[in-house]
Amino acid sequence: MQGSTSGGEFVFEAPESEPVGSVLYAEHLKLTSKSRMSGFAGYLMPLWYSSIAAEHEAVRARAGLFDCTHMGALEVSGDDAAGFLNLVATNDIGKLKVGRAQYSYVLDAAGNVLDDIIVYRRGEDNFMVVVNAANEPKIKCYLSELRAGRAVVDATDPGAATRLTSLHPMIRDMRDADAGGDCRVDLALQGPASAELLAKLIDDPSAREGLSGLKSFALIQTQVGGIDCIISTTGYTGAQTCFELFVHPAQAAELWNLILEAGGPLGVLPCGLGARDSLRIEAGLPLYGHELNGKFGISPFEAGYGWAVKLQKEFFIGKAAMERVAGTYEMQVARIQLPGARGIRPVRLDDPVLDEQGVCIGWVLSNAKAGENQYALAYVEKSVASEGKSLGVYYLARSASQVQQGRKQNIEKGQTAEADLTGAVVSRFARF
Amino acid sequence: MVVEGLLYTKDHEWVKIEGDAVTMGITDYAQEQLGEVVFVELPEVGKEFGAHKEISVIESSKAAGDVYCPVAGRVSAVNEELNTRPELVNEDCYNAGWICKLTVTDKAALDDLMDVKKYEEYLKTL
Repeated sequence: MQGSTSGGEFVFEAPESEPVGSVLYAEHLKLTSKSRMSGFAGYLMPLWYSSIAAEHEAVRARAGLFDCTHMGALEVSGDDAAGFLNLVATNDIGKLKVGRAQYSYVLDAAGNVLDDIIVYRRGEDNFMVVVNAANEPKIKCYLSELRAGRAVVDATDPGAATRLTSLHPMIRDMRDADAGGDCRVDLALQGPASAELLAKLIDDPSAREGLSGLKSFALIQTQVGGIDCIISTTGYTGAQTCFELFVHPAQAAELWNLILEAGGPLGVLPCGLGARDSLRIEAGLPLYGHELNGKFGISPFEAGYGWAVKLQKEFFIGKAAMERVAGTYEMQVARIQLPGARGIRPVRLDDPVLDEQGVCIGWVLSNAKAGENQYALAYVEKSVASEGKSLGVYYLARSASQVQQGRKQNIEKGQTAEADLTGAVVSRFARF
Repeated sequence: MVVEGLLYTKDHEWVKIEGDAVTMGITDYAQEQLGEVVFVELPEVGKEFGAHKEISVIESSKAAGDVYCPVAGRVSAVNEELNTRPELVNEDCYNAGWICKLTVTDKAALDDLMDVKKYEEYLKTL
């Protein structure tokens, strides 16, 4: 594992390793076959249990339970914790109250997105930072390089590193066995029936009441069926009623089974990576490497999250780059609704998006089927991405024989093509 | 699940031999790997394919899988039903979910196909 910086860019080479089962692996094998397990961010995770469509529908109509134990959870604590995080993250930690959560970004000094994160304020000086599984080793390395003064903080001001090295927060991996009793992994319970289900399982009446009044992006700590949990109203499905439960890994399987057992009569289903992806796409939520950063280097502004980058803050890493981007970006992520009934070919990553004249104005980043529609998140010219705008998609060649028949393998911006499927830009985000 | 009386390829196609004609589709293992099939690109009737050439593309919501021609032949019929009901590949891959029929033009590749026992053994190695 190593991290280095050049010109403000933080470069990290993740160690190669075989994927391992999550702490719920044995539970997954009771529910689905080994062949449905897929390597994801170093873990073997189920793609689906029943079917992607059934699990997607369960979350929209009832509720679904997701294994998110692969997500990274870091604790940043001590007198300097808030000050440190406020320099490292783009959103304003000063505005984050105890018991609330905040969506934010970690950038390098060149302004590249290293990860999108949720910061949970558990106490005045105690934060839980949840990071993407795929980015966890990089973020851990980055934070330790920053603390040691080895990463570039401001490319134009070498002295800026002291802003961070003068601070001494404690940083701890909450999933590390060394964390002892306060070890945490994440399960997500998402969908309209999840509040009722969780209320049934919460032992303490006042906590039950507290949960029902909980705003979005808030957290409480209580017992669920006798198991200590940090419960937050956050998620990655677009469901308005949504929870994440952070539990000790030794009790994760017990909690998983408890929820599935109690949720069975309500039609609650275990959900795999497939539905996790289709739900987040339908809702318009970005996936790091697709709608954030990735080959286009997509910024938070282009992704539709400029509000999470507080340019009025005196300083944060990457601020100068974000100030430039904020006033000049010309592409943005748009959510496009297209016909998606069975028998209609799905659009795919890199398929060109066309305006009404057939001119390529961008490309598909992610796509998912939801009911009779398919939704594409696409990187398109800002000027044509307004809601209601009709856009087309061209299917790039899916096979060698299609190439022989003349189907193109890539189309550049400005080139023209004939649309295979026509849809329209819909609201950037959707809640359910 | 496998079916007696069919022959199988390593790419998980099945073949049913009826004289000079064969019917082909994908196996239960293949449909299971793909997940919910939402689109099947059928070959053109009359078109000739060499053995092991791509003959069809089957797309699920998450992946696209190539289907290879198990034996050299000319397409004599395709399962038009899959245009509107691609899910037949999931629901009944060995019967209603067939992909196409071929008139065999060169039998050589038939020798490489596995019988049900060999295919079952092959599946265990995956």
